[in-house]
Amino acid sequence: MVTQNPTDHAGRTDERPFSERLQHFVNGTFVRSLPFWGIPFLLMGSAVYAGIGWNVLISLTDYEGLASASYSQLDFEMYARAFGSSTFWTAAQNTFVLLVAFTVICLVLGLALAVLLDRNIRYSESVQTIYVLPMALSFVITAQLWLWMYNPDSGLVNLAIKTLGLSSIDFLGNPKFALAAVIFALVWQFSGYAMVVYLAGLRSIPTSQFEAGKIDGASTARIYLRIIIPQLRASSVSAAVVLMVFALKAFTFLYSLTGVFRPPNGTDILATLMVRRAFKYTEWAYGAAIATMLLLLALGVIAPYLYYQHKHGSL
Amino acid sequence: MANDIPSTDFITNRRKVMASLGALGASALAGCGGSSGGGENNSGGSSSQSSGSESSGGTLEVLHGWTGGDGSNAIEALKQEFKNTHPEVKTNIKAVGGSANVSLNATVTRRLANNNPMSSFANWPGKNLQRYEGALMDLEEDVWDANGLKDKIFDPAVEKCKFNGIMPTVPIGSHRLNNLFYNVHVFEEAGVNAEDLTDPSSLVDALEKIQKNTDAVGMAQAMKAPFTNLQLFTEILMGQAGVKSYMNFINGNPNRSDIADALETEKTILENYINNDSSSINYTTANSKVMSGKAGCIHEGNWMYGMYRADESFKYKEDWDWIPFPGTEGLYVFHLDSFIATANNPSPDTTKTWEKFVGSKKAQVTFNNPKGSVPPRNDIDPEKLTPFLKMTYKDLLSADQLPPTTAHGLAVSPKTLGDLKSAFGNDFMGPFHVDKTADALVSAVSS
Repeated sequence: MVTQNPTDHAGRTDERPFSERLQHFVNGTFVRSLPFWGIPFLLMGSAVYAGIGWNVLISLTDYEGLASASYSQLDFEMYARAFGSSTFWTAAQNTFVLLVAFTVICLVLGLALAVLLDRNIRYSESVQTIYVLPMALSFVITAQLWLWMYNPDSGLVNLAIKTLGLSSIDFLGNPKFALAAVIFALVWQFSGYAMVVYLAGLRSIPTSQFEAGKIDGASTARIYLRIIIPQLRASSVSAAVVLMVFALKAFTFLYSLTGVFRPPNGTDILATLMVRRAFKYTEWAYGAAIATMLLLLALGVIAPYLYYQHKHGSL
Repeated sequence: MANDIPSTDFITNRRKVMASLGALGASALAGCGGSSGGGENNSGGSSSQSSGSESSGGTLEVLHGWTGGDGSNAIEALKQEFKNTHPEVKTNIKAVGGSANVSLNATVTRRLANNNPMSSFANWPGKNLQRYEGALMDLEEDVWDANGLKDKIFDPAVEKCKFNGIMPTVPIGSHRLNNLFYNVHVFEEAGVNAEDLTDPSSLVDALEKIQKNTDAVGMAQAMKAPFTNLQLFTEILMGQAGVKSYMNFINGNPNRSDIADALETEKTILENYINNDSSSINYTTANSKVMSGKAGCIHEGNWMYGMYRADESFKYKEDWDWIPFPGTEGLYVFHLDSFIATANNPSPDTTKTWEKFVGSKKAQVTFNNPKGSVPPRNDIDPEKLTPFLKMTYKDLLSADQLPPTTAHGLAVSPKTLGDLKSAFGNDFMGPFHVDKTADALVSAVSS
């Protein structure tokens, strides 16, 4: 229509009086639908995106202490300070190790459990519940639980080690073991989640594919490796994203271990560093700079997922 | 047609509703935007602010960190006493969070940074006040002078309440830091005589004896957080190198070799004579090891006394006893709790009423007996205190010197304290690196 008669559109708007044009605009779907999406959009926008924006702004200042922030001189000093600080790099490195190790182990373990359950082993439903249950517990509870489990004198883990004839290990007190101990505890809590996601994926694969594989003479292991697991890519991606986000939220777990802003030695991650600098030292700008970098990291984690979804037309 | 008319009416009506909804939403958002400095508490803060200025009083809001045990009993008693004395004042005295004041400090800092001050909050005076610079109310004229508190409160405590030319706080109680609490039965079984413990090295010998002759470990220590190791270090430094070296340390002229020696002694103790699970327990759990005879002794502030008293079967002198930390005889390592008043809070008058009450004889006896601390006033009848507190109170008033505690905020600025704790946290929680830690401690106090 428009391309056939390009002047028509312009001509018509000129002819119509302003009130009519306004009427037309007000009656248009954009304005009429505004109350439905506009309010949530503004609420969301002010709560989340304005918050992010303000955080970024604060990270450019030198804001600290209880005086108000001065926005007259904005620079990247706080970011430079972070990049020059060994504590920051250690925390970043720990965050990365936690993110990767935790996610990979959870996925592998979850997949193995899901395949087992998919073989219709006995009591599979009870097993399923047992594995998923820890996820329902809060970090505060699981942190205390693992404090007791790892206790060098009376903890279950160390009792097991001692019965093997080895001397007990101070898992949380020794910086060499602390991060691994934390990752182990988190894997215990979340591998059940990966299992459920994989199980749902497995259940959606038609049994005819198993049958076809069997008729062709493939072993069970081969059927899984060659036919079934390659089809679980979507499950893997969505489980991995959720797990990585949980890893970034490990602050709660670490905070609950000690009850202070300083986590056990060797487990300092960006989230704990951020809170410590902001609320213990009242270095708001520095804390905000770390927060911004943590956000970028989280976006970096989510971006491939969004891209993947987009490529497959689900977004 | 007959159908059309009501339907357009309906549409216009609906549109009006939508329009007004939209307007409402927009104005609500504008409201949010306007108070961007305040965050979630601002609307509440500003409304109570206006009511405060109308009635000149306003609700008294006091935050503290005493959530359980003796602390909570003490603040409850104090609250009740305040209500009896000032029934006309509306109060909102509440506890925030748990261990080591972490949540309390975070909440207070957040609210002060958001210009949403409470009337008063419990915290340490001294250098710790730097944390709240710019948000403090001056109580010198209206509270200290008006009630003659400067004469009635013990001089060193008065000094600790001065900051930048104002007096923003009133002390409520004092704990002693240089203690060694011990299990009488373990010491007897090991053949250790508490009176022979005159310096840190004799302590190490005693710990060795305990481990050799009994099933108990020498000393109980909690290392879930680094402050306990910092605390122990300062006592060893004082006991070994003398109070002068300690004072030089906190005043920024550290003697590195004294520091390294003290760390060396501490390393010996922490590597050989403490419980294995120190990294996963806090000091109350550590203390229960002394009570159950699994450990011989413990160094801590005398808040431990509250735990002993709560257990009626564990008696003073019979089951547990006390000596000053070896080498610190005659010293009272000084700790203070106080209630700090905030500037521009919505209830300035009731805040002053509260602070006057905090400084009163009645309030201090009411609070300190259940708390296990002693009043910083100089005119309390010692007979009103429990036997252990009576002794502590006399020690406080007659001490040769009162070196201020480092780990509890009196001696160094909050930033320095953070750096000192980090020094221990990074390199002295096992494995123990004496040189690295000594360097970090020196640079923390020197900067």
